[in-house]
Amino acid sequence: MVEIKVEEALTGLSMSEFPLIRLADVTKVYHLESGDFKALDHVSLDINDNEFVAIMGPSGSGKSTIMNQLGILDIPTSGELYIEGKNVSNMTNLERTHIRRDTVGYIFQKFYLIPLLSAYENVEYPLILKYKKRDTTGKAAAVLKSVGFDEELSAHRPNQLSGGQQQRVAIARALVNDPKIMLCDEPTGNLDRKTGFQIMDILVGLHNEGKTVILVTHDPKIAEYAHRIIELEDGRIVAS
Amino acid sequence: MKDIFFDLSVRSVKLNFLRSLLASIGIVIGVVAISSMGMLGTNMQLSVKQQLSANVNTIMISSDVVRTTSTAGVTAAAAQGIDKSTLNDIKTSVGQNDVIPIHRGNTQFTIGSTDGRGSMYGMDPNDITKFLTIDQGSNIKGANDALVGPTIASNFNMGIGSRIKIGQNCATIVRPTVRVAGILTTRGFAPDGVNSDNAIIVPDTWYTDHYGGKDVYDQVNVIVQDISKINETEAAIDKKVNQHTQTVRIQDASSRLSSISSTLGTITTFILAIGSISLVVAAVSIFNVMMMSVNERVQEIGILLSIGTEKGEVRRMFLYEAFILGVIGAGVGGLGSLVIGYSVVSAMIGNTTYFFMPESILYVPYGMIIGIVVCLVSGLYPAWKASNMDPIDALRAE
Ligand SMILES: Nc1ncnc2c1ncn2[C@@H]1O[C@H](COP(=O)(O)OP(=O)(O)O)[C@@H](O)[C@H]1O
Ligand SMILES: [Mg+2]
Repeated sequence: MVEIKVEEALTGLSMSEFPLIRLADVTKVYHLESGDFKALDHVSLDINDNEFVAIMGPSGSGKSTIMNQLGILDIPTSGELYIEGKNVSNMTNLERTHIRRDTVGYIFQKFYLIPLLSAYENVEYPLILKYKKRDTTGKAAAVLKSVGFDEELSAHRPNQLSGGQQQRVAIARALVNDPKIMLCDEPTGNLDRKTGFQIMDILVGLHNEGKTVILVTHDPKIAEYAHRIIELEDGRIVAS
Repeated sequence: MKDIFFDLSVRSVKLNFLRSLLASIGIVIGVVAISSMGMLGTNMQLSVKQQLSANVNTIMISSDVVRTTSTAGVTAAAAQGIDKSTLNDIKTSVGQNDVIPIHRGNTQFTIGSTDGRGSMYGMDPNDITKFLTIDQGSNIKGANDALVGPTIASNFNMGIGSRIKIGQNCATIVRPTVRVAGILTTRGFAPDGVNSDNAIIVPDTWYTDHYGGKDVYDQVNVIVQDISKINETEAAIDKKVNQHTQTVRIQDASSRLSSISSTLGTITTFILAIGSISLVVAAVSIFNVMMMSVNERVQEIGILLSIGTEKGEVRRMFLYEAFILGVIGAGVGGLGSLVIGYSVVSAMIGNTTYFFMPESILYVPYGMIIGIVVCLVSGLYPAWKASNMDPIDALRAE
């Protein structure tokens, strides 16, 4: 019923007015042994193309949970998520996988590089997923170069790289398929301050190039980079 | 095109080299077991068939078992011989083909001071060369001449001119003596019923003089010149001789051949089944290693899924891994099968003529394919499990 109301509300909007991302009354419930736990509690949120949004809030307030919704790693218990006007709940598993591959670039606090692959191969990987063949266009190398990786460094495996270097590779990997949306869940959380600001400079550059950047952080200094700050508490938006 | 998922699998196998190697050993053993067992069975069948088919043109006629119920109610079974009139009936019904009446028994004998035991055949010396080959010496000429088989000759050190005392060694009885005139060539298992390798062959007159049974034969062989007429000839004999009562049993080697082949086929299947058990064990070990690989790489699977890897691609990655284990195991197993199969065949059959024939050697690729398929099947569930993980839960795994 909620869905019908939202669709009706949307019919009046032209395509250009439609937000890039719309969370409509999204609730996420985890079923635990100790009972049901509402990690997101009726959250509604619009994010437009080329916004730079920071999501802040105490630990456990649901920041990662909301990011996982936006990254379509998860589906809402109730409510709807629209990406580029398309309702994610109506998609097949394969379509959702393809959105993760083509439209969203996800950067994590723990980098999450593929340990068996070199830096270069980690960045080439999403290209292979998309085009089903090895990269011959030099795109992977070019993106790595833009985050300060030369050929020699690109041959290293993740465990041979520092945290800052790993996060650069992760950014390059997220960027390589030219996604509209960059989701960054505490990207500086495991880095020292100086390295953290270097990473933020890269993200600012991406925003200037036209990407929509959504950033989760505890750090007010980091949040200052954003143009809009959303505060979460106990799964609810308390300031926006 | 080099597939990145194949690369990932290769790297995972390399990373866990020892574990992968151990799992592959199961497949090696399975492939070797299946291939060598299969080859053993096939070589056995081929070599027995070859021996048998040398004499398939012979019809064997023996007296049918006659059951008589005595008044006391005791059932006795007795084999009667083939008498002269039956023999004549056979002769008239087979036309130009050779008819060879044979007396047959067992005897003890003494040569020098050594006692022995062997088969004894009595037949017309002129018939002997129609189906037996003399290796040394000559055919029987005198009434007390004999031919001996090669096994008996070498076991008892017999040469041309050796004298054999026939009958049980007993101080009070003077035993008849025969003189070895010739030694036969090796026959192996004889499908015409004349197992001459371990036998003494004497003239039919000598046989009936000492054992009785004149004009009553234990067996009559008909050697058919045109093998395609063997069934016709058998039917003619049957019609003539078994007209009123079932007097004789008519067999030819081809029916024995097929019954022995089918028995050997059953044996081959059985030993193959035993070999397959080792593949079941191998399947379990591959399954185990694949599950370990999946469980150790939960977070990696989470990463792959979260950045847009399709479920099918994750499945493929793990199936490649199972495939690599299978190919390694099957490759080593294939080589091992050649070596071990050859040794087993030469040790147990003593004849490797047929080893490289397609019927036999094809067991190597069959075994290898089965090994690889077993690996893939064992990898199905682990691959399915990996591809159906929840990406968020998988990412959170440590
Ligand atoms: N997979 C899960 N199963 C159960 N509870 C979860 C799960 N993921 C998150 N939670 C809970 O939901 C709440 C919000 O988590 P999260 O969104 O990760 O918070 P944060 O704001 O620190 O990123 C926390 O209390 C956490 O324990
Ligand atoms: Mg978090």
